[in-house]
Amino acid sequence: MSDKPILINYTHRQAGHCESGATSNLFNFYGVKMSEPMAFGIGTGIYFSYLPFLKLMFAPMMSFRNLPNTVFRRSMKYLGVDATVIKKFSSVKESMDVLDRNLEKGIPTGVQVGVFNLTFFPPEYRQHYNMHNMVVYGKEGNIYHISDTVMENPQVLTYDDLVRVRWAKGAFAPKGKMYWINNIPKELDIKSAVSKGIQKSVYEMIKVPFWLVGVKGIRVMARDIKKWPKKHGNDKASFYLGQILRMAEDFGTGGAGFRYIFGAFLKECGETYNNAEFMESADMMGKTANKWREFTYIGARNCKNRSKPTEDYNMLGDMMLEIAGMEEQVYRKIEKIKF
Amino acid sequence: MENPVDKNNPVYKNQDYGQYRELLYSYDKDGNFNKTVGFHGEPDRVVLQQAWDLFAERIEEARQKVLAGKASPIVYYMEKILTDPMNLSMMSGVSLWKLKLHCRPAFFKRLNEKTLAKYAEAFNISVDQLKKIE
Repeated sequence: MSDKPILINYTHRQAGHCESGATSNLFNFYGVKMSEPMAFGIGTGIYFSYLPFLKLMFAPMMSFRNLPNTVFRRSMKYLGVDATVIKKFSSVKESMDVLDRNLEKGIPTGVQVGVFNLTFFPPEYRQHYNMHNMVVYGKEGNIYHISDTVMENPQVLTYDDLVRVRWAKGAFAPKGKMYWINNIPKELDIKSAVSKGIQKSVYEMIKVPFWLVGVKGIRVMARDIKKWPKKHGNDKASFYLGQILRMAEDFGTGGAGFRYIFGAFLKECGETYNNAEFMESADMMGKTANKWREFTYIGARNCKNRSKPTEDYNMLGDMMLEIAGMEEQVYRKIEKIKF
Repeated sequence: MENPVDKNNPVYKNQDYGQYRELLYSYDKDGNFNKTVGFHGEPDRVVLQQAWDLFAERIEEARQKVLAGKASPIVYYMEKILTDPMNLSMMSGVSLWKLKLHCRPAFFKRLNEKTLAKYAEAFNISVDQLKKIE
């Protein structure tokens, strides 16, 4: 293996969501103009699940995003692009050798990493969260060039640091997972991909027959919020509420748990296909996202005065139920749109 | 990893805090989705501060327990890397029921080098450091 420095001409653009940002940047590298919301919508990034029996950082787990690698995999499948995903490697050395070979061929490669040991990440955001994505696009000696779409500028990592984050252990361990695009066909059928992506999103948000996933999950969480102060006491209830807010607002979501990005996707569809119904549903989604943000502002007041809640938990629960209703209307509407 | 938990230097005053700018979307009255690159707002800071306060409390509590001889250093280091027994068992490869025993000082003293090395690797410290706490 030669030690010649490699630097692929890859453009780093900041994005709201790590994986859809990486996907759209990879598309742009191969000459297909695709915005972040478009990649997010086609890859069905929108999701909700509430898993109170699992604990993440000592509070019930909830997720506003799909499982790792879903956005990349689905957008490639729906658009008919030839891409490779290696789910796991058997050894550390092999995983790094495949990455080096890719870089020598000039292929920017996406990797799934754990956040806890990521050196360039701000320390207060380092949690045991193994579903982060970034793109490696260059190598000089034992320094790797990294494009992490959550950060404003491209970053660098040493060989050892990269091994540590790629082989982070714990729940959803990445095990060196990596993915890249081989070949993009000249004519992409974006229209049918959009249709498939919307149908899949609608299925996941309102039709999954399980009560903790999608809009049903939001309703279950809303009812649980009302019970928290009696069940766990004020301190713990405010910490659990803080977990919802952290998941919805922090951590590279673009705000309001990705609802803004999905709204932007609907608006882009409306402009591209000149469809008034899409514009209407984008407006509804935008208002829902604003409601999520309002919920954050009100909830944060409870987190500030922990033992003496200034806002009523019943009111917060009702607000969440209202949000669930608003979201359901949007999905029922976009399900029937023909374009 | 340097722990940002420090009583004199909470996240509010952390120097790195302002340097991290995120891309945020918003929706205005005219029906446009806008992208802005900016710092985190007040609510985000509040919830972050709350979380780090809780972690600091838990770490201090664990430290006192270990110093009093009621728990083994594993408990302290586990809290220090912000994790729970379930996650630590996945990270170190020691089964959960064994790990719970190792949290008691009597069982911790009897551990062999191999198991200690497993824990030390998970905590990213040396075996000597694992045997005592600062």
